[in-house]
Amino acid sequence: MARFIIRRLLGMIPFILLVSFTVFVLIKLPPGDFVSNYAANLSASGETVNQATLIQMRHEFGLNAPFLVQYWHWIWGVLHGNFGYSFKWQQPVGTLIGERLGLTLILSVSALLFTWAVALPIGVLSAVRRYSIADYLVTFVSFLGLSVPGFLLGLVLMYIGVTVFGENLGGLFSPQYLNAPWSLARVVDLLRHLWIPMVILGIQGSASLIRIMRANLIDQLHQPYVDTARAKGLRETTLLVRYPIRVALNPFVSTLGWVLPNLISGSVILSIVLNLPTAGPMLFDALLAQDQFLAGAFLLLLCALTVIGTLLSDILLALLDPRIRVQ
Amino acid sequence: MPKNPIAPAIGRRGALRLAAAAGTAAIASRTARAASALHEAPGLALLTQQGKLPPAAQRLPNNPEIVQPSVSVGRYGGTMRSAVRGDADHNAILRLVGNMGLTRWTPDFAKAIPNVAESWTTNQDASVYTFKLRQGMRWSDGHPFTADDIIFFTDDLLPDTAFYAAPPPQYVINGKLMQGEKVDDYTVRLIFAGPYLTFPERLAGPLGQHPVLYAKHYCSQFMPKYNPDIGKLLAETHQPDWATLFRQHCGDIETPARWANPARPVLDPWVVSTPYTGGATEVVLTRNPYFWQVDPAGNQLPYLDAISFKVISDIQSIVLAAVGGQMDLELRHVALINNKPVLAQHEKSGRYSLVELDTTDVSAAALFLNQTDKNPALRALLTNHEFRRALSHGIDRDEVNDIVFLGQSAPWQTSPLPQDPFYNKQLAIQYLDYDEDKANGILDKLGLTRRDSNGIRMMPEGGRVFLTADADVENPQLIDVLQLVKQHWAKIGVDLAIKPMERSLFYERGQNNDYDIDIMGLPGGLHPYTDPRAWLSVQPLDSRESLPWVHWYQSGGKMGEKPSPSMVERLQLWDQWKEAPNQQRADALLRQILQLAADAFEVIGISRGTTVFGVRSDRLKNVPAKMPMGWEYPTPAPTLPQQYWMAET
Repeated sequence: MARFIIRRLLGMIPFILLVSFTVFVLIKLPPGDFVSNYAANLSASGETVNQATLIQMRHEFGLNAPFLVQYWHWIWGVLHGNFGYSFKWQQPVGTLIGERLGLTLILSVSALLFTWAVALPIGVLSAVRRYSIADYLVTFVSFLGLSVPGFLLGLVLMYIGVTVFGENLGGLFSPQYLNAPWSLARVVDLLRHLWIPMVILGIQGSASLIRIMRANLIDQLHQPYVDTARAKGLRETTLLVRYPIRVALNPFVSTLGWVLPNLISGSVILSIVLNLPTAGPMLFDALLAQDQFLAGAFLLLLCALTVIGTLLSDILLALLDPRIRVQ
Repeated sequence: MPKNPIAPAIGRRGALRLAAAAGTAAIASRTARAASALHEAPGLALLTQQGKLPPAAQRLPNNPEIVQPSVSVGRYGGTMRSAVRGDADHNAILRLVGNMGLTRWTPDFAKAIPNVAESWTTNQDASVYTFKLRQGMRWSDGHPFTADDIIFFTDDLLPDTAFYAAPPPQYVINGKLMQGEKVDDYTVRLIFAGPYLTFPERLAGPLGQHPVLYAKHYCSQFMPKYNPDIGKLLAETHQPDWATLFRQHCGDIETPARWANPARPVLDPWVVSTPYTGGATEVVLTRNPYFWQVDPAGNQLPYLDAISFKVISDIQSIVLAAVGGQMDLELRHVALINNKPVLAQHEKSGRYSLVELDTTDVSAAALFLNQTDKNPALRALLTNHEFRRALSHGIDRDEVNDIVFLGQSAPWQTSPLPQDPFYNKQLAIQYLDYDEDKANGILDKLGLTRRDSNGIRMMPEGGRVFLTADADVENPQLIDVLQLVKQHWAKIGVDLAIKPMERSLFYERGQNNDYDIDIMGLPGGLHPYTDPRAWLSVQPLDSRESLPWVHWYQSGGKMGEKPSPSMVERLQLWDQWKEAPNQQRADALLRQILQLAADAFEVIGISRGTTVFGVRSDRLKNVPAKMPMGWEYPTPAPTLPQQYWMAET
């Protein structure tokens, strides 16, 4: 096992380097560069900028250098732990991402836990009590959750909040706590705002999870080993939890590879609509503005998380399912 | 490094306390009005008493500017709420707080008047300007503001090629840089190589702030000339050169970094206390204790303790917040004609009223026909005056106005607005009438008589008369306009394809000259020389009648393409205009340019600029109910937000 993990870890290095190059190519691929985007944005608000300033900026940001030279400067810095400066904010990329990471993780992890807490029991229930009224109800609601996009739910909730309750539901803090230092009151305020995106994200995530859990479990419930266990007189709940559910969990674990990067970059549109200070909107803006070092660092981070997540899910799978073994 | 003493003292809690104290202070200031002494905000008075600030008389210049409030003398206190978008919306802050140039526009946008400068004089041919500064005026950290700060810009920054790879053109005349000359501590001379009549107006706009943007005592620490240890600083911060470091700390006119450093001394009414950074959820600016304007009762401005900009990424969410009464002043992202119904509907419940933002735009939608189209057959058509005339007659502008602009606009070509002295009737109304027969007649005469089975005309050399219009997706109104124009033109046998595209692609295709038609709004309705993009090919991004012509002009004929004779003549007149020795001559030249543009008719205007609406909460006083909307102005800075005040706080 240890050899397997080390081999996989070593394999990651060239892979991530290769990805970093691809990422850089992709960021540079759209027409224009950061400076032309900057000028276009100002121009679209009816504001003008001197040609001289644009020339100055290109010079300052090194955008005139050949592609490979720019890439080399970037990756050399990254290898030394210096992710460069965001063109737009003139702040170190590391700080920018770091600032947003905390709240992002709080939101995504709570939404993930909420999803699992809701989806797994309901999925089991609707599989075990197939074609019952509860199953139909759950199926109906989960199809609704699948088909309504989260940002729409967010918009509707916000509109109701403003017009009916006269309160802004966006953001993660009330105005008086926006820049306050951390305190118990601020945590309470955070929790009061956090439930809205958590529930919206949760509804979306659980809808599909319920369907997957239900289908997986139904597959297992009629396997001979279940009948055997039941014939041997095992209690129904013990039987369920010990055998079929364990097997049905496999797909969850093997998708862990996607869960990790999703924690950072998931829910971009919802975050923009609800005005959440998470990483998603920042990644989105960086890509739109071609803020190449910020976007690059983000994508690199996501890619690294995907690779690590896949490794983790492989290890967990081996632990969970005795049939899977390292060869 | 000198720090602003007030910024940490007035935190959020401090602001609340100030608000509580404001009521009593207002009474005090009214009883004391008889004395012509200075009055200051209660929070500052407290700090003065504690010895943390010098007394008001020492903070203000000997002769502070006395500002006439737009309605009434106000009371101290309150935090005004507004919004910025998360992605580089720094100009929202500039417009409200930071337009402090040597001069400023009068509230009606009629002329430039002294601002940071107490007064100015100029010589016979307008090539030498002498600015008198206010004695005893100070930066927001208490350091005196003198002629040295302006000389710092003209001598140390402007000529330095490491700082300006190309100098900003507003300081260049006849290819020579503006020179600064210190007469004494409070008098400075700015000297040009030739006449420069519009210099005071340039200084009044946002792009003319450079001379008073950089505090020498603070910013010089980022220059090798003043700081021999700069190398160490660069290494610590991983910065390639001093200019980058300088701009990170002292900003530039239009960068987020300008609002990201609370330590940067400013001359603005409010100073950044919660900076505009990538992770910001709110940007707060608090009162500048050294601000240099007072009201007629001797109260130091600003009245408002602070301005709080909430960072909101989505424009619709900003509209929602405005509708919900959560904005005290929002003039920027809500100001679209389509928002008027929803804003008006919630006026009562949101406890706000609408601010009428008078357009300074020539046109809300104008078609730029590419005069240097890469397709030779189309170029022949697009450069044909008669063809353009037919296209213009073929647009039902009333329908566009009714459907897209809710009846709030009017048919209009590309003249400056009627209230502007440079209004040109021909340029305003020529070829405006919708007349299918006339348009068809013209096209028939051009020999485009053969039609295909759909009624679309065929080119003599084969192929249909097929034009493509590019549009920026972020401006859906213009795409709606194109949809209607497409229907109208189908009736005269011209096929139009609409290509909505992402903004950067829209600009990239412009730069590469890869378009037939571009649709855009058109500024410059008042003071047309501030943005002459439609009449003169001088604007490198937006003079879309032909960008190769702009390159030709800017490179002195070395690059790009030689423009049409009419445009060449206009550009020559423009060069003469720039150096015109007196106002009559300059005005005559500009009129000549507009007349030539009218005769050439390269840009088809559809609808005149529309009045749009922002919101101001009912508790915010002294905000004019009507003001011009524009970047050169820039809204609402010349109405002086420092004299806005809050009724109940």
